[in-house]
Amino acid sequence: MAWVLRMLAGPLLWGALFSAVYALHGLGCAWDWPARATPAGPLHPLAMILLWLAGLALHGALILWNRADGSARQALLVRAGNWIGAVASAATLFPVIVLSTCG
Amino acid sequence: MTEDIPANPARKALRLHREMDRIWSDLPGWRGSLASVNHSTIGLRFMATSFVFFAIGGVLAMLIRAQLATRDGAFLDTALYNQIFTMHGSIMMFLFAIPMLEGLGMWLLPKILGARDLAFPRLGALGYWCYLFGGTIILASLLLGMAPDGGWFMYVPLSGKTHTPGVSADVWLLGVTFVEISAVAAAVEIIVTILRMRRAGMGLTRMPLMGWYMLGTAAMMLVGFPPLILGSILLELERAFDWPFFDILRGGDPLLWQHLFWLFGHPEVYIIFLPAAGVLSTIIPVFARVPILGYGAIVAAVLGLVFLSFGLWVHHMFTVGIPHMALAFFSAASALVAVPTSVQIFAWIGTMWAGRVELRLPMLHVIGFFLTFVMGGLTGVMLAMVPFNWQAHDTAFVTAHLHYVLVGGFVFPMMAGITYWMPMISGRFRVRALGEAAFWLILLGFHGTFFLMHLTGLLGMPRRIDRYPGNPEWEWLNLVSSIGGMVMAAGFALFVMDIGMQWLFGRRSHRNPWRAETLDWAMALPAPPYNFASLPGPRHPDSSAILPLARGEGLLPGSPRDRREVLVTDAGTGRPDHVAVVPGNTVLPIWTAAALGSFFLLMLAGLYWLTPLAIAAILWAGWQWGGFMGSPRDAAPIPVAPGLSLPEHWQIRQTLAYSGTVTLLVADGTLYASLLFGVGFLTVIAPNWPAPESGLGLGALLAAGGALLSIAAATLAARLAETRRDRPTGATAALTGVLAAGLALALLGVLAWQLDDPRRHARDALRGVLLGHAVFHGAVALMLGLRSLCDARQGRTSRLRRGAAPVWQLFQAFWLATAALSLGLVILQEVG
Repeated sequence: MAWVLRMLAGPLLWGALFSAVYALHGLGCAWDWPARATPAGPLHPLAMILLWLAGLALHGALILWNRADGSARQALLVRAGNWIGAVASAATLFPVIVLSTCG
Repeated sequence: MTEDIPANPARKALRLHREMDRIWSDLPGWRGSLASVNHSTIGLRFMATSFVFFAIGGVLAMLIRAQLATRDGAFLDTALYNQIFTMHGSIMMFLFAIPMLEGLGMWLLPKILGARDLAFPRLGALGYWCYLFGGTIILASLLLGMAPDGGWFMYVPLSGKTHTPGVSADVWLLGVTFVEISAVAAAVEIIVTILRMRRAGMGLTRMPLMGWYMLGTAAMMLVGFPPLILGSILLELERAFDWPFFDILRGGDPLLWQHLFWLFGHPEVYIIFLPAAGVLSTIIPVFARVPILGYGAIVAAVLGLVFLSFGLWVHHMFTVGIPHMALAFFSAASALVAVPTSVQIFAWIGTMWAGRVELRLPMLHVIGFFLTFVMGGLTGVMLAMVPFNWQAHDTAFVTAHLHYVLVGGFVFPMMAGITYWMPMISGRFRVRALGEAAFWLILLGFHGTFFLMHLTGLLGMPRRIDRYPGNPEWEWLNLVSSIGGMVMAAGFALFVMDIGMQWLFGRRSHRNPWRAETLDWAMALPAPPYNFASLPGPRHPDSSAILPLARGEGLLPGSPRDRREVLVTDAGTGRPDHVAVVPGNTVLPIWTAAALGSFFLLMLAGLYWLTPLAIAAILWAGWQWGGFMGSPRDAAPIPVAPGLSLPEHWQIRQTLAYSGTVTLLVADGTLYASLLFGVGFLTVIAPNWPAPESGLGLGALLAAGGALLSIAAATLAARLAETRRDRPTGATAALTGVLAAGLALALLGVLAWQLDDPRRHARDALRGVLLGHAVFHGAVALMLGLRSLCDARQGRTSRLRRGAAPVWQLFQAFWLATAALSLGLVILQEVG
């Protein structure tokens, strides 16, 4: 069953990252983070972008190192799971780099 | 290794059939029908009952169409119209679609996976009775003129006590919750059956695609339903006891209801679609006469759908005023989900392209699916785009879209499935031509009703209105839709007639009439209650093994010990693990459902002071369930095949019950996570926070700390009760655990007494729910502890037999973790 957990790793990471970024968005808006400046720009988008990039880096690590030793079909499904998670994280959370946060 | 399991010697098939039939058949008479727990009976009951509800929902739809056929429709008054469209949606979603897929899963899965029954036959029966009782309550309200009338999504504040006095909203909340308990029970049953009861040697990657689809569906039910169960509990608490979760003046927020509802509501669409897609993946290769194209890609697509569908819920809330960035997250996810859906569509088209399609009746319905669902999917992508959604929101365009998705993605595949498996259900061929006529009427009637409705919506007609005197331009469109609706209704009536005619007058079907390869066709028609006289293994992987299996050459042949025995396998590899004895006919499920139903009815009637009686009845019934779970003696391994003997489940730790408890706790954990989401959402988003100061006194802090320590002690004791089960100290440990759990419950009660009135502010109400959650789980853990204590005292444990202790430990650990979080949160709120 280890390969099933490996297959689920990518989508689960997407779920965790999506929840975390969405929660950070809500918290940041409630705590007025867009108005707080940092040397790299307003705190709110910066925090979300950093979190998103960290998540993408983890997805990259999964793609590189999360493999199954079993049958060809198991290996395919683990690879598919890795990519599903990575593409989902990239596609659903890319708005953090293009949109204003709380408007 | 499973590949080496030798065959059992052949026996006389008829004698074996009689032996099995005696043990596995339902009892005769109407009393016997109340006691049935067999998966075929329960699955068929689910499907038949859901079809009755479908017919009722369909009649309501006809009333709606009759009202809207002209702009000044005088057929219904507004109040009744509101009840009817609410009931139409609620019945179709909760009382037709979900039970239909549950029924199909229950009926089909053991057959297609090579098993004799589901993992928990009594649970399946309980689920059916809960569904029937809940559905009947909802339906009775319509007959009594007090049906819910706030829309199938029951938005607050409209469904709050101020705007919806009386019991109509309570009927919806309690009835739907009752039905959802049934759905969660089915999800647990389906998951454990798929993971642990596949034929020996059937690894997960060799499983029929239907298994993957149902696994995905059940996993989604497990995670998707708890948010709505929680939402319903919160809204009912607000309506019944004035706990202000959604009252904006006291720290609540109506948007919390929308989040909880759509956290369920959008995955629900995929929960409905996935089993239907499983039917398509099963049927298409049979009629194309080639293997399915892209097995791995389809499984990956199911995986993608299962996860992505939980990232879409806010697209139902695009117009409520959420910031643009959050809208964009959900818009992107809503568009992305089209990709795994398309992968499946192309795999099915490719399969048909590669083969030679026989256009039999089930395939006609498959074609109906393609023609309808693809259009629904495309309008779904349109609605995923925020600017378009803002324009089309709450118009007839959305009504058209959702019907294209649900009828295309569920009803047509289900009709394909019913016509495909009817020979197995009835043992008969169908009567020619009726089915084809029904199909064409339904297809033409459906598109006649809903295709033009896109235009009606784009012209601005809102949903849920009963008259439109100022908009004559909508009238001809509505009239055409109404005529189409009547044609479609005639088609469904003909479909039912076709099924009835087949059952009553069709000529006898020969075995495997479609020449399918899956194991569901490796049995006589109609399917016997035990499915397989001997179980398929590595030597008998497909339908060609029908005769060897009937002659007992497979695994675990017959029922020589006069009880219902099933083979349990390893979840990943399908390696035989042990033999489980499953319960036979019993009326306990219906009594348990009646006890649960009495609780809901008392709540509905406002007789809260009588509910302790119902709770006592539920506890009594729950205690009775444990009576079957244990054995007073060690047993010798059971011969399964030459050279292969396996232990009974009472002598195994990782039993079906253990797997089921883990699965149930996933649902339970999701409910708790939804509650934490509610706490976070109200704390951060809702206006009128922070809550008024209260200050937790020393007494409250001591009670909280003492309760937590007691729960930890009970958890440790549960562990010791298992590890020392063959010594007298095992019983002492169980007793200690029971006493500690009881003390913890008492201290939680003390803490609850010292907190502020839950009616004061949403924060206080949330605290009440957090404590209530801890108390409820404490009561369950206490029951399991008592069961373990009885096991130890009555000799139902030994070095080999563990009794209820492993399951008790699971609940204790869950109770400890959630109670620690809840109590920490209560204290943290005070500090914050």
